[in-house]
Amino acid sequence: MSALSAHSVAVRTRGIDMFFGDGETKVTALKQADFEANRGELVMLVGPSGCGKTTLLSVIAGTLTPQAGTVEVFGQRLDGLGQEELTAFRRKHLGFVFQSFNLIPTLSVLENVMVPLLIQGAAQSVAEAKARAILEKVGLMGREDGRPNALSGGQQQRVAIARALVHEPSLLICDEPTSALDKDTGAQIMQMVRDLSRSPDRCVVVVTHDHRIFRFADRIAEMEDGRIRRVVDDPSQLDATHL
Amino acid sequence: MYRLALNMLFGDRAKLAMLLCGLAFSALLMAQQTSVFFGIMSWTYTPVHNIRARIWVSDPMVEQANDAKPLRDTDLYRVRSVDGVAWAAPLHTSFVQARMQDGNFKLITLIGLDADTFAGAPATLSAGRIEDLRLPNTVIVDEWGAQLMGRPVVGPDGKETTVPLKVGDTFEVNDLEARIVGICKVRRAFTGGPFVYTTYDRTKQYTLGARRTLSFMLVEPQPGVDASALCDRIEADTGLKAWTSDTVIWDWSDRSLARNTFWWFWKNTGIPFSFGTAVALGLFVGIAVSGQTFYSFVLENLKYFAAIKAMGAGMGVIARMLLVQAFTAGLLGFGLGVGMAQAIGRAMIEKGMPPFVMFPQIFWATLALVLGISLVSAVIGIIKVSRVDAATVFRG
Repeated sequence: MSALSAHSVAVRTRGIDMFFGDGETKVTALKQADFEANRGELVMLVGPSGCGKTTLLSVIAGTLTPQAGTVEVFGQRLDGLGQEELTAFRRKHLGFVFQSFNLIPTLSVLENVMVPLLIQGAAQSVAEAKARAILEKVGLMGREDGRPNALSGGQQQRVAIARALVHEPSLLICDEPTSALDKDTGAQIMQMVRDLSRSPDRCVVVVTHDHRIFRFADRIAEMEDGRIRRVVDDPSQLDATHL
Repeated sequence: MYRLALNMLFGDRAKLAMLLCGLAFSALLMAQQTSVFFGIMSWTYTPVHNIRARIWVSDPMVEQANDAKPLRDTDLYRVRSVDGVAWAAPLHTSFVQARMQDGNFKLITLIGLDADTFAGAPATLSAGRIEDLRLPNTVIVDEWGAQLMGRPVVGPDGKETTVPLKVGDTFEVNDLEARIVGICKVRRAFTGGPFVYTTYDRTKQYTLGARRTLSFMLVEPQPGVDASALCDRIEADTGLKAWTSDTVIWDWSDRSLARNTFWWFWKNTGIPFSFGTAVALGLFVGIAVSGQTFYSFVLENLKYFAAIKAMGAGMGVIARMLLVQAFTAGLLGFGLGVGMAQAIGRAMIEKGMPPFVMFPQIFWATLALVLGISLVSAVIGIIKVSRVDAATVFRG
């Protein structure tokens, strides 16, 4: 796989079509979806339920392959890659924060954070050291030996962020990162995501319904019926009742 | 990742306990039933084990050690004349009724030994001397038989107990007195009856009416003569059947009397089917319980496996994680199950009933079957995880 491009555009999709099923059951999720996010940016994808946010996020993450269009992440075209290459790309360049955290309850906090490094084949000692360092950054040192279920929702999401960033990915994908959190905790988490992602070599794409966190975005792409309806810099330009 | 896979397995203690119970029960059932089966089957060739002759010669129609067909006494001289035979001794075996002092009858296995050489005599006597068999109307009884043929005695508390026969006690065989001069230790018979040893000549009195009392001939090859080759020569020269006495039933030599006896019982009785059903049951229970539990473990962890897939783990890594989990549970379950089977077996050996013989082959076969169950469970889990789309992690 080629080294990632130094181009300022981090994520670019062009003419993405994505549908599920066929015949009468055919559902169109994306129609000519064009999206861009630059390096060092935190871009939010917003819109009503069923507008295609999660599908577009999955296409960008390389977990779904579109029927038409191109996907480019840090200069690497994903639409031409096979499953193994996509898997390898995700392993190396992507970090994930999920809506329901997806922390493995039978593993300790430290072990959960080590997972992406171990998937990459890092030695146990190296993975452990890096995991401890990132847990220090998210303020969870001292809790590393406990189980995730013993933590509050906010703490669990901080563990999830630590896990998403421990292998220093270029693209951080966040799916509804604050939906399970109260307002203050959600704000703290977004502040942390924003702080940790402020780097010219990183880009953050966040899918959210939560208008309370719009202020953390550099830009907001509003989706409707499988398309990007408009992109705004200022959250006040969005009609919250529409979302 | 394998360490994490193990931590995932050990972290869910309830599931692990259920998984281990299924696997251990399965291993216990398979190992214990197979060991008892081979223990019982080992009794079928008890005569070969107890008599300890290098070569047995029988009527050509004899198929196994418990099937004695009378020979002519002159056959003994024919066998002794075969080149390579150091010596040959007569042996009588038959089932006869013994009348006890209380009037009860017991079916016994009467064994007549050559009084000059005592070839085929029991190796260990717990009381008495083998030479005393040369005294008139004397017999030696095995320990189990002494217990079976014992006298019922009512104690002061009104409870009936059995007092085993001892040296000096008597019973009758064919209306002739049989006085016990020794108690021996031998392996028990498949029929469960007592062994009563006497001299070959005296068996003619105890089996009055039988014209021929020669059941087998026990042969010792001359030094340096191969037993199997001598068997060939005896058969060629006399037309009789000659057997070796090795008791390795896995040896496919057609000469082994023990092996032929074992497989005769295998083919002609329902014992293998009965025990085979129990072993198959163990296997199916193992597959059902362990497969179901492991599948449920995979289902519970499915969203985490999907997340791991999304994070860039290939199916190869996930498959190996599931295999490590399944085989670890399999090995632990096997250890527990076979350990319990051994513990039960030891308790059985001390009581002597039922017999318990755990060949190394049983150990390895049980291990292979338990790991097979684990493999089936892992494959079911791998198929399930491979069908999970990594994109599902974004659907809440």
